[in-house]
Amino acid sequence: MAASNSSKLFRVGRSILGGLSNNALGASRPSSQLADMDFRSQQTRTFIQMRTSLKVVDNSGAKRVMCIQALKGKKGARLGDVIVASVKEAHVGGKVKKGDVHYAVVVRAAMPRGRCDGSEVKFDDNAVVLINKQGEPIGTRVFGPVPHELRKKKHLKILSLAEQIA
Amino acid sequence: MRLEKCWFCSSTVYPGHGIQFVRNDAKIFRFCRSKCHKNFKMKRNPRKVKWTKAYRRLHGKDMTQDSTFEFERKRNRPERYDRNVTENTLAAIKKIDKVRVDREARHHAKRMKPKKAQLQREAARELEQNISMVKAPGALQQDPSLTLPIKVKVSKPEKVDNRMEE
Repeated sequence: MAASNSSKLFRVGRSILGGLSNNALGASRPSSQLADMDFRSQQTRTFIQMRTSLKVVDNSGAKRVMCIQALKGKKGARLGDVIVASVKEAHVGGKVKKGDVHYAVVVRAAMPRGRCDGSEVKFDDNAVVLINKQGEPIGTRVFGPVPHELRKKKHLKILSLAEQIA
Repeated sequence: MRLEKCWFCSSTVYPGHGIQFVRNDAKIFRFCRSKCHKNFKMKRNPRKVKWTKAYRRLHGKDMTQDSTFEFERKRNRPERYDRNVTENTLAAIKKIDKVRVDREARHHAKRMKPKKAQLQREAARELEQNISMVKAPGALQQDPSLTLPIKVKVSKPEKVDNRMEE
């Protein structure tokens, strides 16, 4: 549907002035933003498995990574587990580049995870922090809330860097 | 252990119960049961849902201002343990709870009591408006068409005892 829309817009742009086509493009932007919002509200509440795309919430330079291996669990990784991830999008001049393979800790997961007292916790999105082989974070800052379960998993450095602990 | 309040219905969330949702701005939403969680996911406003505490408070159904609520407030300063203080607190909890329950019962009774003066005023107004429909007893006796036809009791013959003789 989007493809057909864009082709129509393109035709309009060609037939009339260029300025008009610019306007048409401007009008189409909110719809794409809305689609993005929809995607966020419908964040899949499943295990982190192979090909899961995750947000990176540190300043290592990566923006988006893809899970290529969950190091724990038969079905996949959950909140607090370590995965192997391939960098799909990265900032220019960061510590990591696109195509790099790194270890990462899942610090936020949309799938509910049981707590030690029997209650459950879940987050808005799926997010990771990149770590090196020794388990130390590659970046020097961590954004957003992280769960206190990371203490049990021995990721104390991430906990101390985090803004909020939930 | 801290007893939290449910975000939706304001009931107490005991340890090990319910689910908590952490938004990306680190705001924590605690829910006592799946009913409240589902209502939150449906984006319902607790002030508009009749069974929540928020609705009842807003619409004057429950007692809102009372000195007994002061004791149950959330305090962020940890109290230093003292045996005597703890003993006194435990004794006071029972007393305060009794006072609160009594006051709530009184509030409820007061709310349920019909407004006597208003009812009387309404009755008086109705009587004044429809006084023409009421006939004096003398007029009723003179004109039999105004009275309902009197039913005359017809005495039935007594049932004959016709039991089977043995």
